[in-house]
Amino acid sequence: MTTGSLLPTLIIVLGAIGAYLLLPHRHGRTKPRSAHVAGAALTALGFLGFLFSIMEPPSMSKPDGHFYIAATFFYVFSALALGSAVMTIVSRNPIHSALWFAGVVLSSAGLFLLAGAEFLAAGTVIVYAGAIIVMFLFVIMLAQMEGRAMYDRSARSPGTAVFTCFLILWSLVYCLGSLATRPASGGGEVTFEPVPIPAPRLAATYRLADNNSTKIVLDRALRPTSAAQNAQGLEKPDVAGLGESLYTDHLLTVELAGSLLFAALIASIVIANPSRSLRSDDPEFAESNA
Amino acid sequence: MTDLLTIDYLRDYLLVGAALFALGMLGFLSRRNLIVMFLSAEMMLQGTALSLIALSRYHGNWNGQVFTIVILTVAACEAAIALALIMILYNRRASLDITLWHELREEAAPAVVPALEEAATAELVEAIEGPETYPSLTPAGLEPEHPIQPWTERRR
Repeated sequence: MTTGSLLPTLIIVLGAIGAYLLLPHRHGRTKPRSAHVAGAALTALGFLGFLFSIMEPPSMSKPDGHFYIAATFFYVFSALALGSAVMTIVSRNPIHSALWFAGVVLSSAGLFLLAGAEFLAAGTVIVYAGAIIVMFLFVIMLAQMEGRAMYDRSARSPGTAVFTCFLILWSLVYCLGSLATRPASGGGEVTFEPVPIPAPRLAATYRLADNNSTKIVLDRALRPTSAAQNAQGLEKPDVAGLGESLYTDHLLTVELAGSLLFAALIASIVIANPSRSLRSDDPEFAESNA
Repeated sequence: MTDLLTIDYLRDYLLVGAALFALGMLGFLSRRNLIVMFLSAEMMLQGTALSLIALSRYHGNWNGQVFTIVILTVAACEAAIALALIMILYNRRASLDITLWHELREEAAPAVVPALEEAATAELVEAIEGPETYPSLTPAGLEPEHPIQPWTERRR
């Protein structure tokens, strides 16, 4: 491990300890207020470290003094999404969890907008925040009419879970750490770390070859209907371009998604309908099928 | 914003997606409420969708967004079936606790004592005043007779 990866490791360990202190106790015992305060402080430290050290904000102002609005909004939405995600998993009340999850969905819809996916931002808000959250809230209200429950105050093996998940986060951060255009320090000579090549340039390289599998795959993935820019290099409008790609290159996917929705509709009706018996050895089965 | 993402932006998007994924996994593994577990699974899907959209922007290609549409579809199907299952499980045990279903194991596997029973057999500890203590009232007198409403009777 080099010294460059020491600071991210420290930040992630801080976040892990904070998340462990904030999660409910294993046996549902009450945690003292000091544990909550320490957990909140450590999580906040890890959170700020993740935002400002691991993510390395690009310069917020252009050389001529103008302000990058997109970069600012990116940071605001990222902070909102991650903070709401932490609150979703540490809230003791499932209704609060569902509402914080709505916060995660709304702020990641903002991130989608910044990445130029307007249709998906709207679709995510409608599908998640509009339909799924409301359904979850209905189920919570049906199932937990008495309010607070014991099992919301206790966690299943929180230590192991925190270790596993933050190990995954650490390894992902470690892998992504090599993605940078920063010149590697050493010997005064400026050498750049390897970066993933954007697809069009990669395709231009591989098109020179006569016949190999990578070329075939790239040619399929980079048909002009799939590209975000038209032949003149201009940006296609979002919904029109996405629809063109969806209904020419991915027609079979659309059909499959429709079949999947239909199958899920029938399955949920069959599962949730308690009046009919599905087992053939049940005496009610013979009656209902008589 | 007509230009494609730079590599630094791509990295930041992927980091946010990775953090959402890890936090969702933490919630799925550690929480005991079925609903919160499914919310955490949806959060993992959200992190993946964010990474796909950022890569789609970086490569100047619609394929990542098409994948995200598929993820949305699968998430909607998953939520429908999960809620149907939750209703069935709730009607059997009158609780949303996942540890009540620990006996769904192979026959040779040893039985796992649910954490609540383990806690009940452990010695009692003094409740510490804090944000998690619930108010308790001293029971006074007999519980009065009250008719059981049809919408509450399946709880008992």
